[in-house]
Amino acid sequence: MSNSIFELKDVRFTYLGKFPALCGIDLIVSKGEKIAVVGANGSGKSTLLHLLDGLIFPDKGTIRAFGQELKEGVFNDESFSRDFRKKVGLVFQNPEVQLFCPTVKEDVVFGPLQLGMAKATIAKRLEGLIAVLGIKDLLDRSPHQLSIGEKRKVAIASTLIIDSDVLLLDEPTAGLDPLTTRHIVDLLIQEHKSGKTIIVSTHDLHIVEELADTVYVVSQEKQIVKSGKPQEILEDFQLLQAHNLIHIHRHTHDDTIHTHPHLHTEHH
Amino acid sequence: MARVNNFIERSLVGALSFLKEGIFADEFAARHGFLQSLAPQIKAITTLVFIILVLFAKSIFFIACLYLQCLLLALLSKVRLGFFLKRTWIFMPLFALFIAVPAIFSVFTPGEPLLHFEVIGFTFIITRQGILGAGLFISRVITSVSYATLLSLTTKHFVLLRVLRVFKIPQVFVMVIGMCYRYIYLFMEVIENTYIAIKSRVGVRVRYAQGQHIVAWNIAQLWQRSYQLNEDVYKAMLSRGYSGEPVILNDFKTNKRDWFWLCYTLTLAIVAFYFTYWMR
Repeated sequence: MSNSIFELKDVRFTYLGKFPALCGIDLIVSKGEKIAVVGANGSGKSTLLHLLDGLIFPDKGTIRAFGQELKEGVFNDESFSRDFRKKVGLVFQNPEVQLFCPTVKEDVVFGPLQLGMAKATIAKRLEGLIAVLGIKDLLDRSPHQLSIGEKRKVAIASTLIIDSDVLLLDEPTAGLDPLTTRHIVDLLIQEHKSGKTIIVSTHDLHIVEELADTVYVVSQEKQIVKSGKPQEILEDFQLLQAHNLIHIHRHTHDDTIHTHPHLHTEHH
Repeated sequence: MARVNNFIERSLVGALSFLKEGIFADEFAARHGFLQSLAPQIKAITTLVFIILVLFAKSIFFIACLYLQCLLLALLSKVRLGFFLKRTWIFMPLFALFIAVPAIFSVFTPGEPLLHFEVIGFTFIITRQGILGAGLFISRVITSVSYATLLSLTTKHFVLLRVLRVFKIPQVFVMVIGMCYRYIYLFMEVIENTYIAIKSRVGVRVRYAQGQHIVAWNIAQLWQRSYQLNEDVYKAMLSRGYSGEPVILNDFKTNKRDWFWLCYTLTLAIVAFYFTYWMR
């Protein structure tokens, strides 16, 4: 039996029929994998995750998830839709989008309530997440009262509570301070150890090594230009520079101006 | 703080600060007072009972007693009396008076004359029945609005929304209002930040035509952003299993104090109705 969760063949997607977002993506994601999709802003990473979550559908090419082709019509089947939503969870890039309820608690439990989870199970999972993410004091607050780090944590909690097999995370550490970033990376590593498949889109290269076994680089032409082990990708300075993932660092040594490509791979 | 000259600026700053302080701050709802300690659904039901009682009462004395009870509840709920009176008295007398004033004259309420005067040849007679009718009307308005204001001051707004479920309002309606509440704040911040950004670039004084252009452009931008947000939020809902029939959390808990308060309110209502209608 095939171990693959997602199979994408020549997937193309355009916004409004004229702005290309993905141009011929081929990708296979197997169960239990850790994948990072890296690319500059506007390279189509978020679109790819939305396609994998069955929120939008390709103009051309096919996406198969758990052996079934993802087309708009298949989500009309309630049992398939519910089953798919239980299996795949997406953390959106903008937590403002994901936190649409008046309070944090309502937001966190929204998913399981829609998916018909028993109230006792929801309460138990909520308690566990509160302890892991340290969000107890936030539960009765409105999302607009939270900092960006807190919003991001709550958004992750609202997806983790579903306990899905596949976690799609769209730039989960963007705009966060180092400590919160560390916390989220540790949490995701823990989730992977518990058997979940993780797909992260990011241009934050210092989390890639820990969060991925395979890295896919997406170009401004909205195509995958290279894939490989994190070390292999992170050492390819030419590739990273060509796709705006590292910058040229200029500094002074004994009155001499010195320039070199600069890459952050570790937390300072 | 710089003097605010511009009409649009004044309106914008005023509206935003009213919304932020008046609606989103939940200052009194967060205090530990009597009404705050009650379960929201019990609080809403008892408030509704008091308002119905006020509307059906025929004695100004009884309405005055209910009003005093409302003030007492405000004190027990740690709501500043000065603030509460200001909130409930500033607009109401104005509107109530407009409606009630004609009723005191014999043209609308014939009866026992109390006072008469002439204005440009017309004689106006104020009747006892007119004064009583207008007094009853104004006292009813003030007392019921005071109870409603007290409920909204001592209950967080999102909790009030969830209470609507108790009255069998459809879940989807409650959810949509909840989302409006959530995103109005976000858009308020967008408006505020956009305004600051414009001010930082164009300075304090803006020509009339340029000002019109900026405002129109901002309205269009805000519309576009809200449209985009609408699509994204819908995707986020779908992603977490929403299928057209929302299920909303309902975790209200009651204790002895809630039931005692409900019993007291219902008993008072039954006794009041008995004396007002059946004893006559």
